[in-house]
Amino acid sequence: MGRSLKFNIFRYNPEDPASVPHMETFHLEETDAMTLFIALNRIREEQDPSLQFDFMCRAGICGSCAMLINGRPDLACHTKTKGLPEEITLLPLPVFKLIGDLSVDTGTWFRAMNEKVQSWVHTDKVFDPQAPEERMENQLAEEIYELERCVECGCCVAACGKANMRPEFMGAVAFNRIARFMMDPRDQRTGDQYFEVVGNEEGIFGCLGLLGCEDVCPKDIPLQDQLGLLRRKMGWQSVRHLFSKLLPE
Amino acid sequence: MSNQPTATQIVQPVRTDAYLDTLQMFTGVALILFMWSHMILVASVNLGPGVMNAIANFLEETYLAQTGGPLIALIFLVHFVLAARKIPFRAKEQKMMWEHSVRFNHLDTWLWNVQAITAMIILIMGSVHMWTVLTNLPISAAKSAARVQTGWWLLFYIILLPMIELHVGIGFYRIGVKWGWITRSNRKGLKRFENKLTLVFVTIGLITLFTLYFIINPA
Amino acid sequence: METFYTDLLCIGAGLAGERVAVEAATRGFETICLSIVPPRRSHSSAAQGGMQASLGNCCKGEGDCPDVHFSDTVKGSDWGCDQEVARMFAETAPIAVREMAHWGIPWNRVVAGKSTYFKGGKEFEKIESKEKEGLITARDFGGTAKWRTCYTSDGTGHTLLFTMDNQVVKLGVSVHDRVEATALIHDGETCIGAVARCLKTGKLRVYLAKATLIATGGYGRLYRETTNAVICDGSGSILALNTGIVPIGNPEAVQFHPTGIVPTNILVTEGCRGDGGTLKDVNGERFMHIYEPEKQELASRDVVSRWMTHHIRKGLGVKSAYGDHLWLDIRHLGAKHIKTKLREVEEICNEFLGVDPITQMIPVRPCQHYSMGGVRTNKDGAAYGLKGLFSAGEAACWDMHGLNRLGGNSLAETIVAGRIVGQKVSDFLEGYEVDFKTAIIGDAVKKEQERIDAVIRGRDGRENVYEVRAAMQDALMEGVGIFRNAEDLRKAVEKLQTIAERSEKAGLRSSGIGANPELALALRIKGMVRLALCVAYAAEQRTESRGCHSREDFKERNDRDWLKRTLATWKEGDTLPTLNYEPNSKVWEIPPGERGYGSCQIICCEDPDVMGCGPASPATN
Ligand SMILES: Cc1cc2nc3c(=O)[nH]c(=O)nc-3n(C[C@H](O)[C@H](O)[C@H](O)COP(=O)(O)OP(=O)(O)OC[C@H]3O[C@@H](n4cnc5c(N)ncnc54)[C@H](O)[C@@H]3O)c2cc1C
Ligand code: HEM
Ligand code: HEM
Ligand code: SF4
Ligand code: F3S
Ligand code: FES
Repeated sequence: MGRSLKFNIFRYNPEDPASVPHMETFHLEETDAMTLFIALNRIREEQDPSLQFDFMCRAGICGSCAMLINGRPDLACHTKTKGLPEEITLLPLPVFKLIGDLSVDTGTWFRAMNEKVQSWVHTDKVFDPQAPEERMENQLAEEIYELERCVECGCCVAACGKANMRPEFMGAVAFNRIARFMMDPRDQRTGDQYFEVVGNEEGIFGCLGLLGCEDVCPKDIPLQDQLGLLRRKMGWQSVRHLFSKLLPE
Repeated sequence: MSNQPTATQIVQPVRTDAYLDTLQMFTGVALILFMWSHMILVASVNLGPGVMNAIANFLEETYLAQTGGPLIALIFLVHFVLAARKIPFRAKEQKMMWEHSVRFNHLDTWLWNVQAITAMIILIMGSVHMWTVLTNLPISAAKSAARVQTGWWLLFYIILLPMIELHVGIGFYRIGVKWGWITRSNRKGLKRFENKLTLVFVTIGLITLFTLYFIINPA
Repeated sequence: METFYTDLLCIGAGLAGERVAVEAATRGFETICLSIVPPRRSHSSAAQGGMQASLGNCCKGEGDCPDVHFSDTVKGSDWGCDQEVARMFAETAPIAVREMAHWGIPWNRVVAGKSTYFKGGKEFEKIESKEKEGLITARDFGGTAKWRTCYTSDGTGHTLLFTMDNQVVKLGVSVHDRVEATALIHDGETCIGAVARCLKTGKLRVYLAKATLIATGGYGRLYRETTNAVICDGSGSILALNTGIVPIGNPEAVQFHPTGIVPTNILVTEGCRGDGGTLKDVNGERFMHIYEPEKQELASRDVVSRWMTHHIRKGLGVKSAYGDHLWLDIRHLGAKHIKTKLREVEEICNEFLGVDPITQMIPVRPCQHYSMGGVRTNKDGAAYGLKGLFSAGEAACWDMHGLNRLGGNSLAETIVAGRIVGQKVSDFLEGYEVDFKTAIIGDAVKKEQERIDAVIRGRDGRENVYEVRAAMQDALMEGVGIFRNAEDLRKAVEKLQTIAERSEKAGLRSSGIGANPELALALRIKGMVRLALCVAYAAEQRTESRGCHSREDFKERNDRDWLKRTLATWKEGDTLPTLNYEPNSKVWEIPPGERGYGSCQIICCEDPDVMGCGPASPATN
């Protein structure tokens, strides 16, 4: 038979005045192909029905189930117990507001993020239902898709020391989103407009280059490269502006 | 408070952060270059006191020491002011960062902590060192040896040396990462290269201190 | 009590809900979307394959047009769909796809020149023309005459949903995530909003709206084994069912997919078999060739699912901690093929199973995949029975899928229906005023609060909700699965009736304080069992085989007696749903005939109106 697994799980219900934050231990016999999705559901159904955690697709596509698994942010549903030691510590993601136990409020955070980076194609063209679509190189479409694959799980934010220190820091996910739109020819935003959004200490210039984001992203988004590119573009943008001011023609 | 932007807010995007960050990078690069030159100057003593004296004389005669010294001190100061913006000074933020680092246990995150902590030590020890050297010009192998061989100076340098090399090494790597010259594909290789470089510099520094302490006659 | 007023309340923020919201917001109506999860996590994000629209850009789609799409859809539905709706759908799909392109979807595009593709394990060549280069391309899907499925790599649902939510953010539509609607507020004639429970704090809220939309997705989680997400438990259909007025259309129409992986039932693509993968049993032996000598593993989805189930029932399945399963073997395709053409399958096996498909077999079994049935609406998306109530998406029975939906048609439905219903809702809202009667609101809230108190205190008993749910899932799985017969169905209905009694006695084991997950399920469980009963009972009554509904004891498709749609309602106090029927379609552009695939025994329809030679000849538009 399988190993006997020991789970140390963070427990706290902010809605319950009697509840205090603490760690609670559960034991479970490991089964074949067990994932944390299966394990946590079994704990809830068999041992403690009040245990809060989030799963949705349980297939690694919706980004609901991010948590700290032995300290490392990852999607619980695609984490097999087989690859973990017998003792498994589960904590909710930091930075995001705690809802209870392992569940955090990513929805509010990401909505604010999307509003802040204005995560949509800015165009003054009006859709014409009768006209054929605008053409695009397949290659470019695939490059955009590569960045669009982000599932907003929040792992990169939780793994970022800067975001842990300064909650107003936008995080790698936001920079990746900006990079995605900068790459898209349909978006008519100018460099200055992007600069206004990310060209500051809360934005790209606040990034310390810690690369926690890059190292944990479960979707393997090329975050490091996007961050570097964005800082160079934005830095260049400001330098050019400075020169045009100093040396007016 | 109203959410309506006031007239002074609507103007152009604020570029201060971008300028400061770019400047920080340049001060970092300048300091790296300086530390490499500094290494050449001081380590030349290993080739014989005459070599070091020759370089020192050259600096002296071309007034590079008299002007360069204070200039470096200034860059040092500017870099400190700029980089210090990134260091958490509120206890709560320090605690968050520390707890995060311990929990996450991720090398690059730890390296940043190393950079922040070494920075504090460098601030104090580097200032003391510069003050001592710059108020006692010209530089000569004998004077340096005398200094290293008296009091606590040897210990002082043995501590400062790895601090500065770690700080510079990590800083070098981080500039590459932040500005996108180090990418996903070459990160591993460059990081290894950087570690080796740091090790080499520490070794040369130690040999130099050895030379100054044991070989060179301060008289 | 927190109370929100709005013009339109969208219950559900998946593709369908958000598309309606976008339309209404564009027309200037205030809109609030509710969602159990943050909107971008809605189950629409899980769709990978793509969506159908007859753009006809790629060479294998040449000559495609809405007519062909329409005809594929009608055949796919086994003539169970509403042809007026299917027509509207096929005409609008290309516009909807282009509109999504305008909003930012990085659709894959036509690349000019020569390339190869696989069909039935064999390699073929195709040449794309230069003049179509850069236009939206398409891939092949089951049951279609042309390559029509537009896609973004293997994340079509994801990009669609993110782009849609971007529009929602842009337009400033409020989305209240982690809020679950638990009851509609209505006076028997007009719907004026919903009572909802905040899943962050556990508190009740009231939403008052001139128009309310149900876009809550499918009810796959009534089954134990399903490809659906864990929140797809039909709460939208339950809202409708609990009114006692609004009917559920064709609840028995449940689609199964042959290859979900065990234990988590995540879908692995049909491409495995398409490229030559085989199915094996406990002895490591193939079996499909015994049942289907001709097509073997490559018979249609429903047929393969049926035989797999049959084989497991014969005791030839592989026993596991998670129940019996079979093997999917793609080892012989070789590492190179798997690593290039079946990348996603390799990833799923590695990440979720710890199985390496290059050297190991993949544990699979058929599982529930899609709910064709749902809140019955007219072609404008207006629900039967209550004014001001609408529905769209998988939650609705609009009804373009009939008894079987085609792959790629449901993503398309969400944005097409969203677009059309959104316009109709906006038209409805234009100048519409409603009276928010306080007595009715107060009653509804009181009722919900009482339900909550009852399960927390265990007033009616302490039935374990998880056990009740498991019993229900097993009953449906065993009795109302892929093969159906009178005996099994009767047993399932009986079992479910007992389970329904247990569900009434659900009580919590935990405190129920705050965002308690046990309470959330306890509040839903009664409705879930009722919905399960609708599925089972309607299936028992439908004595024919059509689309996904396959009766061992009634193998024919009976157009004479069953060219009709089930309408299930639930009268409070009853132990079974009330079933009524209506004709499938008012218009018969294509009279019932052979689908051209699957076995085909038909009892013909004699109605001249339907068959196209009656006095009222079929409408063409
Ligand atoms: C694995 C898989 C793959 C698929 N692949 C394809 C494909 O390739 N092509 C294709 O065409 N189709 C595919 N489908 C089907 C298609 O994805 C769905 O039918 C479609 O996305 C449903 O969209 P929807 O907007 O109706 O519902 P959903 O996206 O499921 O959204 C439901 C919304 O309702 C909310 N909600 C539910 N209940 C409540 C409540 N009580 N109160 C408040 N909010 C509530 C949820 O939070 C969610 O926001 C696939 C399905 C699955 C399971
Ligand atoms: C006065 C003492 C010093 C302090 C307080 C200090 C502090 C810092 C800090 C906190 C950083 C990190 C900044 C960031 O992550 O964005 C940094 C970066 C750096 N430091 Fe220092 N430092 C000091 C002295 C030095 C010296 C003497 C050198 C070189 C000889 C040096 C070289 C660098 C380099 C190259 C970087 C990387 C620059 C960048 O990321 O833009 N520092 N320093
Ligand atoms: C312009 C300014 C500087 C001058 C002229 C200078 C000169 C010298 C000299 C002459 C020595 C030999 C030892 C001695 O005489 O005490 C020395 C050693 C050293 N200096 Fe500097 N220095 C300067 C700035 C700095 C700075 C900014 C740092 C780092 C913060 C630094 C770090 C060191 C270290 C670590 C050693 C030990 C040498 C070794 O082992 O390689 N110096 N410096
Ligand atoms: S970038 Fe990666 S880690 Fe960050 S939210 Fe997106 S998917 Fe998650
Ligand atoms: S971890 Fe944070 S500091 Fe920058 S490199 Fe990633 S965003
Ligand atoms: S549950 Fe969807 S990513 Fe884990």
